[in-house]
Amino acid sequence: MIEHFKHKASVQKALDKALAYQPKLNAMVSFLEPTSQLEALKAIDPSSPFYGVPIVLKDLVNMKGSITTGSSKILENYVSPYDATITQKLSAKGAIIIGKASCDTFGMGGTNMTAATGPVMNPYDLTRMSGGSSGGSAVLVASGVVPMAIGTDTGDSVRKPASYCGIVGMKPSYGRISRYGVIPYASSLDHVGFFTTTVKDAAITLEVLAGRDDKDMTSSNRPVEAYASLLKGDLKGQRIGILKNVIDSIQNQSTLKEFERLCQKLEAKGAICVPIQLNEDLMHAFLPTYYIIANAEATANHSNLDGLRFGVQKEGDDVEAIMSATRTAGFGKLLRKRFVIGSYALFIENQEKVFRKAQKVRRLIVEDLKKALSQCDVLMAPASSQGAPRLDDQSADQLSSEYLIAENFMALGNFSGYPSITIPFTLVDGLPVGINLTASAFEEAQLLDIAYGIEQVTQWADRTKELV
Amino acid sequence: MMYETVIGIEIHCELKTKTKMFSSAPVTYGAQPNTCVNEIDLGHPGTLPSLNKQAVKLAIQACTALNLEIDPVVRFDRKNYYYSDLPKGFQITQQFHPIGSSGFIDIETSTGVKRIRINRLHMEEDTAKQYHVEDETWMDFNRAGTPLVEIVSEADIRSAEEAMKYVEKLRNILVYLDVTDGKMEEGSLRCDINISLRPIGTLDYGIKTEIKNLNSISNIAIAIAEEEKRQSALLEAGVAVQQATRRYDDVAKTTVLMRLKEGSVDYKYFPEPNIPPVRLNADWIQTIQAELPELPDARKERYLNLGLKEQDVQQLIQNKALSDFYDEVILHTKEVKLAANWCISEVMAVVDVKTLSQKTYRLDLKEFGAMLNAVGDQTISSKQAKEIFPHLLQAKKFNEVVTDLKIEQVSDTSILEAVIEATLNEQAQSVLDFHGGKDRALGFLVGQIMKKTQGQANPAKTSQLVLAALQKRKPE
Repeated sequence: MIEHFKHKASVQKALDKALAYQPKLNAMVSFLEPTSQLEALKAIDPSSPFYGVPIVLKDLVNMKGSITTGSSKILENYVSPYDATITQKLSAKGAIIIGKASCDTFGMGGTNMTAATGPVMNPYDLTRMSGGSSGGSAVLVASGVVPMAIGTDTGDSVRKPASYCGIVGMKPSYGRISRYGVIPYASSLDHVGFFTTTVKDAAITLEVLAGRDDKDMTSSNRPVEAYASLLKGDLKGQRIGILKNVIDSIQNQSTLKEFERLCQKLEAKGAICVPIQLNEDLMHAFLPTYYIIANAEATANHSNLDGLRFGVQKEGDDVEAIMSATRTAGFGKLLRKRFVIGSYALFIENQEKVFRKAQKVRRLIVEDLKKALSQCDVLMAPASSQGAPRLDDQSADQLSSEYLIAENFMALGNFSGYPSITIPFTLVDGLPVGINLTASAFEEAQLLDIAYGIEQVTQWADRTKELV
Repeated sequence: MMYETVIGIEIHCELKTKTKMFSSAPVTYGAQPNTCVNEIDLGHPGTLPSLNKQAVKLAIQACTALNLEIDPVVRFDRKNYYYSDLPKGFQITQQFHPIGSSGFIDIETSTGVKRIRINRLHMEEDTAKQYHVEDETWMDFNRAGTPLVEIVSEADIRSAEEAMKYVEKLRNILVYLDVTDGKMEEGSLRCDINISLRPIGTLDYGIKTEIKNLNSISNIAIAIAEEEKRQSALLEAGVAVQQATRRYDDVAKTTVLMRLKEGSVDYKYFPEPNIPPVRLNADWIQTIQAELPELPDARKERYLNLGLKEQDVQQLIQNKALSDFYDEVILHTKEVKLAANWCISEVMAVVDVKTLSQKTYRLDLKEFGAMLNAVGDQTISSKQAKEIFPHLLQAKKFNEVVTDLKIEQVSDTSILEAVIEATLNEQAQSVLDFHGGKDRALGFLVGQIMKKTQGQANPAKTSQLVLAALQKRKPE
């Protein structure tokens, strides 16, 4: 397993490829000159899992001395004065960070269309989006630039782009990976996640990233398991819950047919597929609940961006005027809208009927999920109803069940903090579509093992889409 | 009309921890500006808070001493507002679940003991310090993130005297616990006074003002008196008091308007998502409570039981460093009352509080004790002790100083009687004066004897013997 990443390890090749692909994919925000990191390899055990392996960080992850913009305008010039805990962990295991990948500004979006550096293109079809918010990271793995990229996931920001890009995208349990040094969107929903091309690579990556960090009070003290060596891939007797609500709201017949076929293959391998019905009313409430909690936390989380101590400062007659001018110029319309919604939810006169109510609904959603997972080992459903939309596609009916349920159910993993993974499963109309699996809290080992078994059925491991 | 003053007091107290409330940056008063900061204190993107366990311990101590109920689940909330001294754009505080609630302290006033109820004690973090230099604002982030407790009284205080006693007592308790250095002048203990007037006999509260920037206990009294004058004049004139924040001006010795409070600010409080609720271990709380340092009231009781005078006890208790010093001194002498006198007068005259608290004096307490014992059993006189004491402060030994200064006290009756006889013979007029009713003559005679013995005669014994000799010479 230690040798696993090795054959993929060529920093120079990765940099060359990233540069060559940049005009087409627009996935990178900044490149890093790797000399000092390569120099530092001398002090690192060559058997380390990421020894000399090129990787990218989502542009929300701090690395001392590097530019970390959050794909925003307001932090365009921000040089990190410190390392995120995951940056240190990866460097200690020999990873070479070749740059920062584009994302929706501060992770707030699902399309990567809001990045300050513009949209990121899908390598399978350059007229289509990568998905977001971790779009740059997903695309760089999908196009074979790097074998692993760090993302973050607040609603489905790792697992959705993984589906659109035909790769593995995982976010483990809340508290499994330290968030220290990762620019937040919404603290109670934010997870660090990552992209790889195989389930085994995901298991290796999780082993490196997971573990208690005293700098993150929400990180867990549970011991980290040997996820990679625990992989068996035997599906016999595994109870796979099929999320009926999602299946029933998908319109695309090819997706449904392919999914049906997958379930049959899994049963042939000895898996037991059980239909699971979640509370439909609660599922319709996912999106409003999510937006209220996420935006309320976000409005506070981003109050530090006032231009006084760091970031792009705008002129003003006094301190207050500087803060106001900086924030007005630094945030786009969409972010301002989110902050207004978040503040509205927190106003003293609204707090009970909006913010507190959303938290109650969140608890109900988690209880419903818990009940479902008491009947099976994992929940499974297509991670998207079809392939990646076109860059200019605004056709989605945001009040339809297909949108509200099939396109947004993965927020379940964020509401609950339960581990969740997307792996590729098929092409629909020539575009990748993944399946998503969610397990109970801290059941990463079992989740990865089932994903590993399914990967052997789908035969999608290690596929990348190189550009010519 | 006669008015009654209604006062509630909020106290912000910096905790004496090594590091900040939510970061590992050091807490150091008086350090170079912006040297005790890290990325957390500056609110850099991606930073997260880590709760300081020592701060929680100090808060538990304070809660215990102030008779507050302790919430065993520690929770924090965000208080959202934009201000240049608040790096994150929110302050982490305990709005919904303060660690301590419903307590009290008893204060002693000129009219007796009064109980002042305490509504709550909660933990939070301090802001940065701003300096306005001409038209520029300079920032020092060293203070940002310093652990604070805020202690909020009920509106039970009715006069400047009570307010002073309350702050004094509270401050003293916190200093005795060693949870703070309690220096009002340096801002480590800050006090905001909420004050309103109402006609005597009515129950509804009047409109209050809040007074800030009170950097000493005496200023509290001045500010309250000024505010009572100002508010009663308004009420007499039929003008409503405006709800406002006022600042005490130390130069003008009065309060000045800072800002009006037009409606209350909505701080949009919500639970801090980055700090999960922390359940405190019951044994840990009990251990902290069992090991609580001696509080001022208990120490006062102990001193009174030693037989010290009420006034001396007050003087010692009010100065913890001196009182701690006294407690060490009495380990070396039986003369506890004498030791108290010496500590209050001689010691305080020559040794400053800082030296006492840091124990940087060169006085060997064993030698000091030996000297006090010698005074007590009349081996030396108080006058001689005062000559000896400065030498002890140079780390010298009592016996050596006595030898060096050729100090010896003559208490031998036969020797003293011989000198007395000779003196009385020489001073026949004074003897007559004494018997004629002039008491002064006795002092003169004793003085003469001291002179003859070069100050080494035991004064008490000499007086006693002179009196006896004079009685023998009483004219028929």
